[in-house]
Formats: sequence, structure tokens, C-alpha cells
Amino acid sequence: MLRYLIFLTAMIHLLLQSDFSIADEKKTEAIQFFERRIRPVLVEHCYECHSATSKIIQGGLRLDSSQGMLSGGDSGAVVTPQDPQSSLILDSLRYEGLEMPPKGQLSEQVINDFQKWILDGAIDPRLDNKTPNDKSQWDLAEERKKWQYQPPLKHRLADQSSDNWSRTSIDGFILSQLEQNGLSPNPPASKRDFARRLAYDLTGLPIEEHLLSRFEADEKPNSKTRLVDALLNTPQHAEHWTRFWLDISRYAEDQAHQVGNNDSLNYPNAYLYRDWILDAFASDMSYQEFVRLQLAADLVAPNESQHQAALGFIGLGPKYYRRNSPEVMADEWEDRVDTVTRGLLGLTVACARCHDHKYDPISTEDYYALAGIFASTDMFNQPLNESVEKNGDQSKQPGDGLHIVREGKPRDLAVMIRGDVNNQGQVVPRRFLEVLTTKNKRYTKGSGRAELAESIIREQNPLTARVIVNRVWGQFFGRHLIDTPSNFGNLGSKPSHPELLDTLAVDFMDHNWSLKWLQREIALSAAYGQSSDREELKVTKDPENRLMWHMPQRRLTVEQMRDTMLVAADRLNPVVKGKSIQPDDPTSNRRTLYSKISRMDLNRMLANFDFPDPSSHSAQRFETTTPLQKLFLLNSPFAIAQANAIATRVKNISRSDESRIRELYRLVLGRPPSTEEIDAGYGFLENEMDQKWQAYSHALLISNEMFILD
Amino acid sequence: MKPILNRRELLIRSGAGFGAIGLAATFGEQLQAETTSKMTSAGDLGQSGDGLHHPAKAKRVIFLFMNGAPSHVDTFDPKPALEKYAGQPPNEGNGKNREGGFMPSPFQFARHGDSGIEMSELFPNLAKRADDLCVIRSMHTDVPNHEPGLLLMQSGHQQPTRPSIGSWLSYGLGSENKNLPSFIALCPGLPVVGPQLWSNAFLPGIHQGMEVDTNEKTVDRLIANLHHPTMDGESQRKQIALIQQLNQMHKSGLSDHNLLNAHIDAMQTAFRMQTDATDAFDLSKETTATRTMYGESEFARSCLLGRRLLERGVRVVQVFYVRKGQKQPWDTHQKNNEGHRKLCGDADQATAALIGDLKARGMLEDTLIIWGGEFGRTPYAQMNKSDDLSKAGRDHHHTGFSMFLAGGGIKQGFTYGETDELGMHAVQHRVHVHDLHATILHQMGIDHTRLTFRYSGRDYRLTDVHGKVVGDLII
Repeated sequence: MLRYLIFLTAMIHLLLQSDFSIADEKKTEAIQFFERRIRPVLVEHCYECHSATSKIIQGGLRLDSSQGMLSGGDSGAVVTPQDPQSSLILDSLRYEGLEMPPKGQLSEQVINDFQKWILDGAIDPRLDNKTPNDKSQWDLAEERKKWQYQPPLKHRLADQSSDNWSRTSIDGFILSQLEQNGLSPNPPASKRDFARRLAYDLTGLPIEEHLLSRFEADEKPNSKTRLVDALLNTPQHAEHWTRFWLDISRYAEDQAHQVGNNDSLNYPNAYLYRDWILDAFASDMSYQEFVRLQLAADLVAPNESQHQAALGFIGLGPKYYRRNSPEVMADEWEDRVDTVTRGLLGLTVACARCHDHKYDPISTEDYYALAGIFASTDMFNQPLNESVEKNGDQSKQPGDGLHIVREGKPRDLAVMIRGDVNNQGQVVPRRFLEVLTTKNKRYTKGSGRAELAESIIREQNPLTARVIVNRVWGQFFGRHLIDTPSNFGNLGSKPSHPELLDTLAVDFMDHNWSLKWLQREIALSAAYGQSSDREELKVTKDPENRLMWHMPQRRLTVEQMRDTMLVAADRLNPVVKGKSIQPDDPTSNRRTLYSKISRMDLNRMLANFDFPDPSSHSAQRFETTTPLQKLFLLNSPFAIAQANAIATRVKNISRSDESRIRELYRLVLGRPPSTEEIDAGYGFLENEMDQKWQAYSHALLISNEMFILD
Repeated sequence: MKPILNRRELLIRSGAGFGAIGLAATFGEQLQAETTSKMTSAGDLGQSGDGLHHPAKAKRVIFLFMNGAPSHVDTFDPKPALEKYAGQPPNEGNGKNREGGFMPSPFQFARHGDSGIEMSELFPNLAKRADDLCVIRSMHTDVPNHEPGLLLMQSGHQQPTRPSIGSWLSYGLGSENKNLPSFIALCPGLPVVGPQLWSNAFLPGIHQGMEVDTNEKTVDRLIANLHHPTMDGESQRKQIALIQQLNQMHKSGLSDHNLLNAHIDAMQTAFRMQTDATDAFDLSKETTATRTMYGESEFARSCLLGRRLLERGVRVVQVFYVRKGQKQPWDTHQKNNEGHRKLCGDADQATAALIGDLKARGMLEDTLIIWGGEFGRTPYAQMNKSDDLSKAGRDHHHTGFSMFLAGGGIKQGFTYGETDELGMHAVQHRVHVHDLHATILHQMGIDHTRLTFRYSGRDYRLTDVHGKVVGDLII
């Protein structure tokens, strides 16, 4: 209370210095009344939820300024001077309608005070600072100075004369941070561990025996280079990296729910998008072109029919129940904005659908400027050929169409206040995010998709290259330079090696945005070549391995795991591209990449092994370890079929138990067994049981060594 | 690997999956010994029995979900005024085939128990449990369509992008039984929307509801891959012992054991689960008297199975009232009265049996039962002009409907809220779906505003920015 008295005295003092009139005097009285009877109540009972310092401003209402009270919140103005009847705040205090404050009704006296105060004109001397409906609370000029909105620059390390560890441009940055923290890198991994790690990271498959023996025998310098190049140029490399992109683009072949048997919203030919991605990776298409075509192939390459499938990036997005109603379309646009901004820019723009972004300089205007592009774009089933039955321009059956997008009627959207489609604010022209542009140009060509693509991929865009470089990095190291790969905003994590990230991003752009260049640069680095050993002393200094003093142990992804089982069984079908399969069908032998991906009923095997929900963009995969996974490995018809195939191979090759055991280790783990392991095998084979070799092969096939990468 | 935010997550992830377990015995006789271990006590995760933010009144929850939406005016919300307005068309809203006008319920309502809770004659068994129930007559939701309605009721959001309530509870509280999943969805056939209703969405995969098709009667068909199709138990025990032996040898050559131990433990748990789940899902272990008490329908089997799972420490059981090929039996657009007579008869017996059974076992106190659908049905008829009134249905209705709660620290023999004279709109003590969610979480010891998960740049929660605990419902 003392605080208010001091304030009051100061206020009166100020007023006394000015010219006085009777009106002024009345006003002074009113102010005194406010200060004595109203403000303390507001502070004590209301500010917690309704002031600038509230954690969450409830109902969009601020009661800590006169402006806030007069303009109100979601339910409109709460105070109408001289009109207690229309002043919502009185209803709430009386617990008629809203019940405020929620902790308990205030006394009759307090309510009467509020009534009197409103009747007398609701005089409120509190100065406004920011009110909730300010256009933007962000000082963009200031925000643009932050690292993520500054173009990346190439950094040079001062003194590298004593560094004979480094191999590629990456290593100097790693080493200098390690040294600054009194750490040193791990010794190199064994050739075997390295080759196995590399083959999984580049192709998703175990290292082939002949490549491994050639690499182990290769004593010449640059042996790693030869291995990396050999793997980079296989179709299996493109297969593996295609799945990486499908997580980002929330690839799926249907919708999360379906009305009755109506499957008209499904995407039976979604695989053509998957095939396009695969071709793009195989040909090392520049990332700029890769993004450009996925956003706007119909506009930038209308005559190149082979590239239209790229538009599946948007065209395979979720369609929701009751689409075409305004609320539902607003939800669909959110998916598009979210996939594009988190996926390509590492910004969570969809947060700004209902209110200005709380943490990043992104306004609702920014959101609706982008949403307008997708409101001007239609989902489209382009007939696969001339002969199919059509409905207008589209194929009549989804099975006869390529699921892409096309230009709709260009239109700008009005801001939907608090995300409410029925509460429209000002119309926002289609354009790019303000914080990423200096002079904000409107998009004028059709929907604006092609212009959006240019805004994203231009070299001056500070985020695009950094985001993809960080993602690719994470695929190799199991963690990213920025731990939140789809959120580079203020709530995202800070880069562990900012100069490295920036240098790599610039080099990536200088190398024609080549993903193969980037992968090669990482794969050949000394940092990536380290062992996964964990020395106690180093663990104490950097338990999270933030500084990358060792390679982490990783579990294979579900794709790598299933593919490895097929390889061990010698059953992997090498055919590249094409239609989808059911991955846990024991007879299916194509790579897991080709799994049918359902939003409605995601395959149980995939779901159990941490496959991301394909309903929305996935920033990265979780890695959980559960008994249900083990039950699949132990008892599923798929696992049993592979184990049986291996047992048959082993038994066909040799007659003696020891040579069969050796053969089993070669086929499954790609190495000879130790004496101890041979003994364990003998011990098991002594058991009385049917199908011993199947059981033994199965045990080896699902042992930890199969699924853990060092 | 992605860093995870909360301590419980860390425990779950670094542990064997279904709960943090110590470094268990790994192979040989010790493994065999493990197979005899059954239930574990509550509190494996430290605070799980005590609630996450405040003491929990309920340790577990079973949601009996009437897919398709029961009619409130035929069940728990008597509206005698419908007689007076019978045949008069409603003067609001729009919809097809409304010529039949307001349609009084043909079912007699009466007060039951000491509390005098009113319900219709369709619930003779629940009537005897009236003093255990807390009927909410003032529920309301956002839209009268199944898909968004179901999603809102199950995940707090109309689009299929958010974790289900069971997943949130699993995430918040973990499991009380390390050998069983913390969240199990029992559904004899897929409901409308489907698996998204028990989806973990962006929460880690371990929090996904395990779907069990209760059309199946044998445990192997209830849970995929629980047993090897050809190998006998003894042989598999030896096989797993071999696997663990190989895993130990593999581990001894490496310096980083965390991940390897997690896999060894998960294998161990999988092995125990083969026994524990077999037991949990084996209804033949129930007496004939108990089975008769629940009834013979799919729903009855789900309820009985639900009780066995709750008893064994499963945190959340979600029972969907569906049948093979019938994704929403309660959606009585035609022949509402006939439909409700049958549906309620079935639901009445099994639900009342479940309440009685839990009570007899001393579990009702800390088990929260929730009963209801995604919305209600119109107080007026839905029919073709040519039909006679006996064939009339009722349409979807979302602005006022009934649900009931029981156990778990909720007031007993209590009726809360009101709809208007005709049952059209909740008018007094309105309870939105978000409020229901907030209240459920509250009873489980969770502050719904603080159970959050950082995803896509912001903290998500079940109730989004909504929801208020309905203090009036709580003892």
C-alpha cells in the first residue's frame, strides 16, 4: 500500500503544479478515488493474469493501462465510462457470466466502488505502454541484427600450424573449441567401425563385404575418400537420403481420417513424389533447385513434365474433414505454412496464426501474408495421362492422378484475429516474412509461390543454407549443431559451433548448394572419423558431448534395421523406386523406404520404432527403446522369416557346427566370432530343441550389435 | 538423439521403456526367476502415485467412450417439457428432416438411490449404483460432427495433430507396471477417426496407446507378436538367454553402456511381458459369476479386460464402444428409441458391473471412470416426412449433453449443471470438453496448465489455452 501512497503523493504534486480548474479538481478527486479504491484491487486480484507481466495474458485482456481496459480483450471492452450497465467488468465481478476473479468473489463494497468509478467516467491515470493490439512489438531493425537474421559469413581460424588432426574445413573449428575447454578429440575409429558407420550414414545399409575388405587393405592415403565416393555414387545413397527428406515434408499416402469409405482425398500415387526426391538426390540437384521445384515446378518449369511430381511437397499435405469450410481451410493453410517455414527456414511461423509470435519477430501479418499464398493455391490431381477419366481438369479417380498443386484464384487474406475465421482484421498482401526482407515486396505473380521459392533460396536469405546444413550434420553426428533443427528462433537452442555452422553454410552455397559436397565434407572430417569410446575424464568435462570429442553410439533407424535384416537374409530386392509395400509383411523384400505411409493407421512396426507422425513436419526423430520393439524382433513373422532364411543359408554352406557358426557371424555381423562367442554358440546348440539353427540365427540377428552403431 | 526436457522422460527413455527399472538380472536362472515376478507396486517412478504437481485423487483412469454420441434426453437429462412442445419444430439452427419436431423421450425417468439421481429406465443396473455417480448435464463442445468432436474429446483439438489424453497422462505419470504399457486402447473394431484417437502425436512413441482388438479372445490375437508362433516357452527362454549373453559380450568390449543397458533391459521386460500380459489379457481366469455380471458383448469384454489392466497398474484404459464394421453404434439417426434400448441395455450392465467390481476390490476410490460420447443428440426428431415417429432418429447435438464420472475423488450421488427446458443448451454450470480434461488431469495430480511439451517452437498442452478445473465436482 505504501507504494501507492507514494505514487499518489507524487501524482498530486504534479497536478498541483498545473493550472487548476473545477474540472481539474473533479478529475483529481476521481484519480484519488481510482488510486485508493480501484488500482489496489486491480493489482492484487487481476494483474496476475491481465497485465504486461503476466505469463499468459488471459483472454487477451490487460487491466494495467487505461487503454487496455477500454479496448478490452477477446470479449470486447470491459469498461464503458459512465455506463456501468455495459461494463463487462462489473458483470464479471458480480459473477454474472464470467466469474472474476476466479479465486473468489470480491466484496459488495469493492463492486460498488467499481460501479461508482465507472459512473464517474472511469478516470484512469495509468499511462499506456504497449497494448495488446499494437501492430508489432518487435523492433525489426534490432531483431535483424541477431545472428540468425544476419547472412552467414566464412570464418577463418587464426593459427592452424600445430594442427595435424584436421582433415576438412570442419575440423579446425571442432578442435579449437575442444582445446579451449581442455579436451582433445578421440582417436580415430577402427577401419571396420568407420566403414560400417559410414555405409549406414550414406546408404542406410551395412557395409558390403568386398568394400570393407578393400578398404581395410587400402593402406594408401585417401583410402577414405575412395570409400566415401564409392558409397556416394550408389542408388542406395539416394534411397537412404530420400527418407530423410520425407520426414521433413511429412510424406504420406492418405489422410488421418476418412469419412465412411470415401477415399477420394487419398494419395495412391504419392510414391511418384518419393521417386522424384530420389532422382533429385541421385543427380545431386542443387538444393536451390530442389526447393524451387517443390514449391513451384508448375510455374518455373511448366513444360518439364518429369518435375511436376516435385509439387507433392505441398500437394501431399493433409486434407481435413469438412474441407472448404473456412475454419478447416484455415487449418490446412497452417499445415502448408508450418511445413514450409519450419522445414525450410527453421522458423515456427505457424505460432503467429492467432497472435504475434511471442518469442520471434514474426507477426500475424507475416503469417497471413504466407497463408495467402496457399489460399491462392489449389490441391490438384493432375491426370497421369490423356486417357484417364476426368472430372473437369482433374483425374476423376485419385488413382489416376499425380497429387500436386496448381494456381488458384490469387487472393490476399485478412488477419484472423486470435485465429478466429469470423473475426477478420486488415487484409495483408502476400509477401515474405518481414524480418527476412529489407524492402518488403508484394508477391504479384499468381499465388506468389515462385516468388516465395526465390525468397527462400536466395543466397541473402540467412536461414535456408544454415537450416539444411544443420539437418545434414545431424544425420551424421546423431545430434545437430543447433539442437532444435526446425526452430532457429529465440527459443531454439544456440549453435554449439556457430562459426563452423556459418562457414559450412557459406561453403555449401559456394559449392552450388550440393548436398553430396556437404556429405563428403562431413564424412571425410576427422571429427566424424573419431571413435565412440567414452573416457571417464572427458565424460566429466562434457557429458553431453556438446563439443564433439567422440562419436555417439546410435541405434539404427527402423529403416536401417529392417533393411539390415533383409541383407543378412540375402533377400533384399535391389529394385529402385516404385510403388509402396507393407514393410512387416514377411514376404516383402523391398527397402523400408518404400513402406506405405498412412496418416490414418501408421504401420505398427514403423510406429513402434519411432517413425514420426506423418500428419505434420517432423523436426527430428526420437529414439525410444521399448519392450514392444523387442517383441516385434523376437516374434514377428517378418523377423522369423529373415532368421529362417539365414539359417538355411548357413546350413547349406557347411556341415560342421564351427564353420556354420563362423558363416553365421560373417553373414549377420560381417566379422568372425571370438572364441568366447563360438563357445556360447556351442552351448546353445547343445540344447534339446527344434529348429536350433533358426533360433540361433534369430538370436544373433536381433542382438544389440546388429542395431547399435559405434 | 533428441534431448528431452523432463526428468520423467529421461527416466523412461533411459530405462526399459515402460518404466524405470533397475539393472535387472540378465540371463540364465535369474531370467527364469524374473518370469515369476508379477505386479509391481505403484510408485516405480517415484512420484507416480503422488501426482505430478499435487497429490492425486485418482491413480488410474478408464474412459468408457460411447462412439456416435448417446442421447442425453433419453438417458440422464429428463425433459418433461418436450411433451408440451412435441411435434413443434425447433426455431433455431438448421438440419435435414426435422419435420418431426421436438420428440419426448419414450423412456420413464425416476430418481434413484439416496441421492435421487435421475436416469431413464434404460439403466436398471446403473440405477442401483446411482449413489456412486456424478452426472454432468451441462457438457458442451465445439461442433456437431463426429470427426472433430471425437478428436476434441480425445485430444483437445479438432484436427488430428495432437496427442491423446491417454498419451498425455502416460507422458506425465508413466506406468505403474513396468511390464505392461501405460496406456491401452480397447476397441473391438476401429472407431471413426481411428488410431489418431490414441495417438502420441509429437510425444515420444512410448506414450502411444497400445491398441487391442477385443473381438479377439485369445491373448496372442489380442497383442501382436506377444508369443513366438512356433517356438515353445522354454526354448524361447533359452533363446533370450543366449541373446542376453551375446549382448553382455558385446557390451564388455565397449565403454559406453547406457544405450546398451537400455536395450538389454527392454529385452528383459519383453520377456516378462509375455507372461504378464498373457495373464492380464486372459479373461478365462475370471469366474463365471464375474463374467456373467459384465455380460457377453464386446463392450462387456472390454470393461472386464479394462478392470484386469487397471488392477495391474495400467495408467489409462480407453474403451471404445464400437463393433466390427460399426464405427459408431450410438449414432442413432434412425430408430433412436429402439437403438438406445439395445445400446443402453448392453452399456448399462457392463458399466454397472465395472463400478461394482472396482468398488468391491477397493479400487473405485482411486480409479476415475468417465462415461459418455463426443456430444449429445437433438431433443427433436430426425425423420423423413413419410416415416412414422417410431422410426425417428435424433441428430448430432453439441451445445448441451450429459456425461457421468465415478470414483477417483469425484463427488458421489451428485448431479451437476443444467440444460434449458428443452435440453437444447447447457445453461447452468456449463462444462466444456477442455474443462473436463482439466478436471481429469487435476484428479490425476496434474495441473493442466503445467503439463506441457515443447514442440514446434512452443509449449503444447492438452487443454491448449483453455480449460478450467471444475472444482464443484471434486470431493
